[in-house]
Parts: sequence; C-alpha cells; structure tokens
Amino acid sequence: MRVSRRTFVKGSAAAVGGLALSQYLNGFELLKPRGAQAAPAVAEDWFPSACWIGKQDCGLLARRINGRVVKLEGHPDDPRNRGRLCPKGQAQIMALYDYNRAKTPLIRTNEKGIAGKWRPASWDEALALAGEKIKEARARNPELVAWQKGRSKAGSFYDEAFVKAAGALKLHHGAFCSDAGYRAGEYTVGPSGVLHPDFRHTKYVLAWGWNITNSGGNKLCWITYPRELIMAKERGMKVVAIDPRLRGAGPFADEWLPIRPGTDLALALALANALVGEDRIDREFLKKYTNAPFLVKDDGFFLRIDGKEQVWDAASGSAKPFDAAGIDPALEGEFTVGEAKVKTAFQVFREHLAQYTPEWAAGVCGVPAEKIRKVARELGENAAIGQTIVVDGVELPYRPVAIHAYHVSQQELGFQAVRAMILLMMLLGAVEAVGGQRVDFTWKPHENFEKLDQAKVKDPPYNIYLKDSKFYPINSNNSSVAARVMLEPEKYGVTTIPEVLIIHMTNPLLAFGDQEALIKAYKKFKFVVAIDTWLSETADYFADVVLPAAAMEKYEGPIGLATGYEDGKALRLPLMEPLFQSKGEIDIYLDLCEKAGILYGKDGYLDQLNKALKLKDEYKLDANTRPAVRDIFDRWAKSEGFAEGIRYFEEKGVKVSQVPASKRYGLAASPPFSGKRLRLYGESLLRLQEEMKGKKVEQIYWQDYTPLPVWRKPTMDLSGPEYDLYLISFKKIEYKQSRAHVPLLIELAPEQYVEINPQAAGARGIKDGEEVYVESHNAVTGETRRVRVKARYVEGIRPDTVGLSHHYGLWTNPWAKDRGPTPNTLFFSTAGYVTNTADQSFHVKVRVYK
Amino acid sequence: MARYGMVIDLDRCMGCRACMEACKIENNTPQGIFWMRVFRFEEGEYPDVRYRFLPRPCMHCDNPPCTKVCPTGARYKREDGLVATDWEKCIGTRYCHAACPYGANYFNWKEPQKNYYLDWSAAPELASVTGGMVPPYKNPDLEVPYGKEGRRIAGGGHRLRVIEKCTFCVHRVEKGILPACAANCPVAAIHFGDLDDPESEVAKLLRERNPLRLREEFGTSPKVYYLSKSGPPTAKSREIEKVGAR
Repeated sequence: MRVSRRTFVKGSAAAVGGLALSQYLNGFELLKPRGAQAAPAVAEDWFPSACWIGKQDCGLLARRINGRVVKLEGHPDDPRNRGRLCPKGQAQIMALYDYNRAKTPLIRTNEKGIAGKWRPASWDEALALAGEKIKEARARNPELVAWQKGRSKAGSFYDEAFVKAAGALKLHHGAFCSDAGYRAGEYTVGPSGVLHPDFRHTKYVLAWGWNITNSGGNKLCWITYPRELIMAKERGMKVVAIDPRLRGAGPFADEWLPIRPGTDLALALALANALVGEDRIDREFLKKYTNAPFLVKDDGFFLRIDGKEQVWDAASGSAKPFDAAGIDPALEGEFTVGEAKVKTAFQVFREHLAQYTPEWAAGVCGVPAEKIRKVARELGENAAIGQTIVVDGVELPYRPVAIHAYHVSQQELGFQAVRAMILLMMLLGAVEAVGGQRVDFTWKPHENFEKLDQAKVKDPPYNIYLKDSKFYPINSNNSSVAARVMLEPEKYGVTTIPEVLIIHMTNPLLAFGDQEALIKAYKKFKFVVAIDTWLSETADYFADVVLPAAAMEKYEGPIGLATGYEDGKALRLPLMEPLFQSKGEIDIYLDLCEKAGILYGKDGYLDQLNKALKLKDEYKLDANTRPAVRDIFDRWAKSEGFAEGIRYFEEKGVKVSQVPASKRYGLAASPPFSGKRLRLYGESLLRLQEEMKGKKVEQIYWQDYTPLPVWRKPTMDLSGPEYDLYLISFKKIEYKQSRAHVPLLIELAPEQYVEINPQAAGARGIKDGEEVYVESHNAVTGETRRVRVKARYVEGIRPDTVGLSHHYGLWTNPWAKDRGPTPNTLFFSTAGYVTNTADQSFHVKVRVYK
Repeated sequence: MARYGMVIDLDRCMGCRACMEACKIENNTPQGIFWMRVFRFEEGEYPDVRYRFLPRPCMHCDNPPCTKVCPTGARYKREDGLVATDWEKCIGTRYCHAACPYGANYFNWKEPQKNYYLDWSAAPELASVTGGMVPPYKNPDLEVPYGKEGRRIAGGGHRLRVIEKCTFCVHRVEKGILPACAANCPVAAIHFGDLDDPESEVAKLLRERNPLRLREEFGTSPKVYYLSKSGPPTAKSREIEKVGAR
C-alpha cells in the first residue's frame, strides 16, 4: 500500500509561525495495528509510536515493510518535533536491531566487581531468582530494596506503581542533571523546573550555559527549543551566551560572555546590582507578588504578629499583615515596630547587593565590567517595565526578557546561582510575565514550594541518600552521596543499607560523578537486578541477574507533548515484537511483581497502577487479575476520554491540544500566582542553617543555606596553583544524555578529546591531537585522579578552562569501548563538591600535562 | 518539466547532522559514506570566535563536470535536472570523483554488504524479522528503475568498486515526497523544490534572499543554493568535530 505524505507539490506548504515546517500533507494512511485480527499481508505501512532513545519521546512514524522497520520519521502532528527527528532519533533504528543488546536473561557466574561472566537463563529462572531475593529482603524490611532509574520512561508504571508496591527506596539521577536548578525554581517561584524563555514573545535572552546546538535545555531534549529559537531569532530576539565555551551556543550567540567556571552566582548578583543602581526595577511586581516588602528583623527572620508576616503601610505609618486589604506596602526602608528594628526584605537585598558591583564581578568572573553593565542595561531596556500586551484575549504584563539555564545549575553554588538568576528576573517583573521568565510550561506550583519551605532537619538514623538530614536538609537524592554513605554509614548516622538493588535503564558507574566511590559502594549490594536494553558497565561489574528490556519495540507511556504553547498525549507502541528474547519493561515488572508476591491485592502493583494512572472507577484494573499491557493502555485511554481507547493512538499516534495564555502564565492565574508570594527572601533557608548548626554539622554543609544568595569562593579554588585549569563537562548532540552504543552515532563522534585553548596548550608544549594527562585535585581531601586523553585545540574556550564531553569511557559494548575516558572519573562527591541541596558539581580544578 | 534544486539556510542550520542520519538510513549508505555531509567550522581567535556549519549534498550542477568525464554514460543529467548515477553502468573509473569540485562522490572500496557497521550475518536470530536483509533497515525503493528512461539510479548501487552519491532522493521525489534530508531538518533549514516554478518555496527564497553557491568559479552552475548573512566558510575556517568518514 502506497501512502502519500510530505509532498511538496504546490499548495501543500503551510507555514507554521514563520517557519515553513509543514511541507507535509496530513492524512497519511495508517494500516491495521499489530495484534488486531489476523496478520494482513501488507507490504508497507507507517505505524505511529514514540522515540525511545532520548529524553522527550518525540512522536514518530515507523515505515514498515512486511513488518520490518526500515525508517523512522518524526510524527508531523507532534508539536514538539513536527515531523522531524534529531540525529539520535534517526539512528536509533540501529539500536532496534543491534545484536550487541542484552538478548537473553543472564545469571552471573563469577565474583562481582570485575567484568562479568554469564550464563544465559530462561525468563522463568531469572525472574524466580530475582523475585525470591526481593521477597526475602522485603519480608525483613521493604527499605532493604532500592530501585534506581535513569532516563526510564513511563514513570507511572515504574517510579510510582512499582516503587510503591515494593516499598522500595528510590534513587534518582537528577542530582547529576539539573536538580539544584529545579530546587531553586520550586523554592523561589513554585513550578518545578529550571529556566527558559517565553520563546514566542521574548526579545532578549541570556543563554546561561544553554547548549543551544547540542543539548536541549529546561525539560526538553533538544529539537523543540532550536525550532523556537530560530523563530524567535528571525523575529529579532537577541541572544547573549554566558558560557566558558562558545561551541554550545555556536553561531546563535549575538554576544559571548566567556565566564570563569563556577562564578555564575557572582555575575547574576552583579547584574542585579547594576539594575538596582540604575533603578530599572518593577516596584509594583515586587510589592504585589513577592515577599520583597516583608519586614525582616535584625536576626534575619521575618517580623510576625499573630503568626503573620508584616509589611510597612506608609499611609498609616504602621506594620500591617502582608495580605491586609487597602494598604500600600513600602518596598524600601527601615522602621521600628514596637521594640524591633526592621527593614523590608528588599531593603536587605539592596544593601546586600551593594558589595557586588560589576567592577567587583569582573575580577571574579573574568568578564569586563563594561560588558556586565551593558547586559544589565539591555535587560532593563528590553524589559518594557510597565507595559502590557493582549495575548489570547487577556491583557497581561509584558516583560520580554528571560534566562535559559539548565545544567549550569550543577556547580557548587548551583542552587543559589539559579536563585540569583530568578531574583534578577523578579527585579524586572519578568517572572511568569508574557515574554518573560518561564520555569515550567504552565503555571503549576509544585508541592515543593511549601515542602522545601517547611523542611526540618531530623535526627539520625538517615537513609542512604541522607534525606531530611543535617547534611542536606533540602535534598536532590544523589547516588554518589549514597555511595559515600554506604562506605562509611556510621559517620553519617545511617543504619539501614539496602541489600537488593534494581537498576533500570541506568548506568551509574558511567552516568554519575565519582566513579571510584560508586565502584566501591556498589560492591556492597548483596543482590543486583539490571533491567536494561544493553549490558551496562554497572551490570557488568555488579549485576547478579540481567533482564533484557526491549528497545523501542514495546508499549510505554503515557507521554506528554508539552511545548508551553501546545500539549497533548502520545504512547510508545510496539513497532514489532520484542527482538531477541527481550520483553517490554511493563511486562517485566508484571512478571517480577508476580514472583515477588507484590502484584495482586490491595496496595499491590495493579492497585498502585490504578492510582498512578489515575484510572476512573469504570476502567480500573482488577487488582487480582493479570492484565495484558495493551489492555492497561486501552483502559487508560478510555479513562482519559478517548472513546476508541488505545485504537486512537494506534491510528493517529498523537492527540494535540492548545495551551491558552490563561493557563501558561503565573500572572494570568486568578489570583495571580495563585495567591502565593514569590520568595525573593528565603527566610526558611536561614532557619535551616540554624538548625544545621544546632546539630553541629560542619560549615561546608551549611554555608550556602542563606536567605539571599551569597557569593563565596568555590571550594575547588582552594586547590594549589599547580592545578591551574578548570575542567568543565558538556554534551554533544550525537549522544546528548544517554549511552552511545549505536554505531551510527559513534561514527559521527568517534572519540573523546579534551578541548583546550591553543594559548593554554602552547604554554604547556601540547600539540593539537597529542595525548595528555588531565589530573583533577580534591581541595578538601587532597586526592588526585587522572585520565589519558587526546588534546584538541579549540579557540572558543577560555584559556583557563578545559572541557571533556560525557558519553565515553564505556567498555562492555564492542563498538563503544576504547574511545577515550569519561570525565566522571575526575569529579568528586565529597563535601565541597556535593553541596547545599546534595547536588553534584561538575567543576573541578585540574592540571594538564604530557 | 521541473528543474529541482535545494536552498539551504545557513542562518538556521544548527550543524546537528540529523540530515546526515536521515539520508544514511533512507539511502542505506555504507559506513564512512555520507551523501549529505555537514561540516562544522571554527574561525577566529579567542575571544573573537565564530562557529559555522555547512551541509553539503551533491550540488546537482546544471553544468556538471562529472557527466562529461564518465566514459560509460553511467553519470548523466536527467531532464528534471537531477544528476544521476546508473549503478548498473558504472565501471568504477572514479573520473567523476576527480572532476567534482565538491567531494560529493564516494567510491565503494570495501564490499558494501560487509561494510554496514555490524556484521549482520552474526545475528541469525534477526533473520525471522529482517528476512536476512543487510542492513536490516534496507529500503526496497532503492532497487527499482526510475524515470521514463527506466534506469537504476536510486540508492541501491552500493556495490563494490561502484561510485555513489546523493540522488536528491529520486525515489522520493518521483513520488512527490521531499528528499530525506529536507524532510527531516529539525529547524527547516533545507528547502527543496522546482527552481523554475516561480510559486515554489525555493524560487521565492531565491528571490527574497541573497543566495550564494559554492565554487561558482568552476562554471558548474550548482542547483544547491545557500542563504547566509555572513557568507560561506573561507580558507581560514578550521574544520572541527570531524565525522568518521572518508
């Protein structure tokens, strides 16, 4: 059967927002889904599913010839990718057929901590063994089972239903990703996210460490933001790249501020200093929507009367509850209330900022003061303070300036740096305004806005990632911290160490910082189950059982299609039967739960699945009958209002909806920001600092718990002068966030190299292409580590900085091995390098020599 | 009769190489062969540095030097302007390769069947799904004849000691579908269509913008045009991030 799509005949082009992206015709013809009726003798069809190899699961269509997948193309209706796929999305077709995948269940036959030896096993044997170990550990204490995920999909099936049914301890990957920024967003504004612009309206954006050409950004994988960026640039948006390395922003930077690594907080404070100095601030915004007018006592805590925060009412010359009607709160000033001397939080901020002049920051950041002043001025000019705009029929504040920041948050001062960036945008009134600062795609305050504010420092015993502890009371759940704790549990007040670990589509030894600590710690797990499509390095060293997961040939979802302007739903549908002896993960979890005795009954996996998928009563699964996976998704689809159930997705692939401005912006909510006050002043951070001090924890842990972002010299700068270079890490478009086992991608980016400026290389007598050592130094413990790697001359990097990409250092896959080291062996996870919110810093001082 | 051409907007290009992969899979090119190849360049010295990307398909020249040197007529220009390679007629002289100023020709020095990355014969368990196809994603459209002359000119010519290059995805174009690279560009930087149709997108772009072509001094009259505010790469541009290609 011939299908006609993407024709370019006359009249078929429909321009989308200025970009002629739609040279396709819709109405492509779809054939009977796999599994429905007897297999028809079809020669060719295009079957809808979703990308599997990245982070955002773009909708796609698979061209099949007699059931054999020959090509993947983006789904034309998915608003995120509009018919296109990135190089990874295209190349994943080889992952599908890759016979270097984990093909059969494997059982380990040799000791752990070295390369694994295996015997193939039947599914029944492997599952029975794994299920028995889980059952046995759970009988003693469910927290003896830990579950760790990477870029796993279908959170309802795995993160929610399985973890809850098992009562397992869940380990995350976020503390290595961007979670310091997420915590800053949740705590300061409310929605869960780091920072991105309102692309369709922004005029001026600070691309703060935003790797535009190589790796997504806040929440998205890649393909959506570049498209939005191009449309915005063609509309005239200006891009200022703030990055030690220009390659990420590439030709899309109108201005480059090559900042010294780890000094982003200083720059944000200096920009705020300049804006306040030039009085380019949105006073109305600060008064109405933030806690800037709240009165702060000498001790740094808010003045409260009857438990309520107070503001200064100029009309009556007295303190009034912040939410009293008919008052005009003072933004600045010093007042006396009863015996107490108080200042507004903004006054405190203003005085705090006085020290952080652009001239001061120039010395810290290595960016000329006049450039900092210029950017501050341009921010102020473009912010259009006082202006409004009508969007979707609603008149809203218009502040077309924003920051795009994501992985830049993974540095020592990451949480406070991102907080300072948000404060900068608050000064301009741009947070959640049209054209302004976005945190999430819609205005959706996260429970952490209150939870982090209410966080309490508890007494030991703590769990292995030190939740609610005196070390990291706000806690992003860091697996390298867990590793450190497992090596010295007494030191951290930890008594329960998990015995059984399930690692799902994650490769901690390569994915996370501090490989050395992880290797030592993972040896301590008594039983490790790996659910994975490839035999990961972590599985190679530590798995007792490997359960081979299908690649993209399986059911998974539901998948959201949010771009900020559109939204929708999609599912990953099996393009073919799972290859080799692999199974879809949902089937694997059903099997595993059955063997572990946690599938059926109240609070069993099926019962938890009903909750996780929010199935309406009439579509709930029977908690005592094992369903087929297709049936689960059919119920979900019907519960979501798709009358045809899963057939809707089997036929159309995606369901798209529009997001109106009223749902998008916090300032469009009723009342604005749902009545919440943005936290310019983080009073609870001061409270946590005092609680931490009260529990006698060292300064290195509490020093960044301050109500306003405070610059300090990074710990890494305490390394001796011989460690004269900063190491940063970055991602390449060919691999982005995940493993690089596909030969097609390895061909595009075949080997690791350390990027070094020719000035720095010349001073060390290092030639382009020559092998060098990169040696990192731990300023706290004195430990050093080194890797051997080729040097590559790059002009677009600071002469005091070298860069290594992630993605390399693999050894189990014959195509991926011997292509150079991972930078993760060079990073440390000790105090000073995992800071504040338990987030990993990917900055360290190094020396480079032959 | 249409006269097909391509307009590549370098001000949009992110250098992501998604076009290269879309081409590679659509046309089943063997390892090291990129009919569409995206070059990445760095220019200048710190801190005055600039990056630049350049996708390079076959230019499908109106005055192609490669057709003139081909002793067998395997390389010829079609009525619709596509410069085609009849892989049944190619005897592997590589004269076209020598004549082309763009480096667009790729010669199969290795047996292509053994040059598809993995050794697909090592996975007999795939055969029930793939029918033993090499590569497993083998595109059946590439084998059949095209054009009224009925010659085998689509991407099926992966044969030992036979030359190959970009076909402008003749097998798609004849169906009215965009070439794989243009259809897949994430930022719609690659436009394709009939240069002679004043209403076509490519014709409009050429009228509205200031196009440039590569190595026009050779008189090749390429039908691939570039749009760029800052001009093409120069002798001072340093190639970076090279792919594992020949």
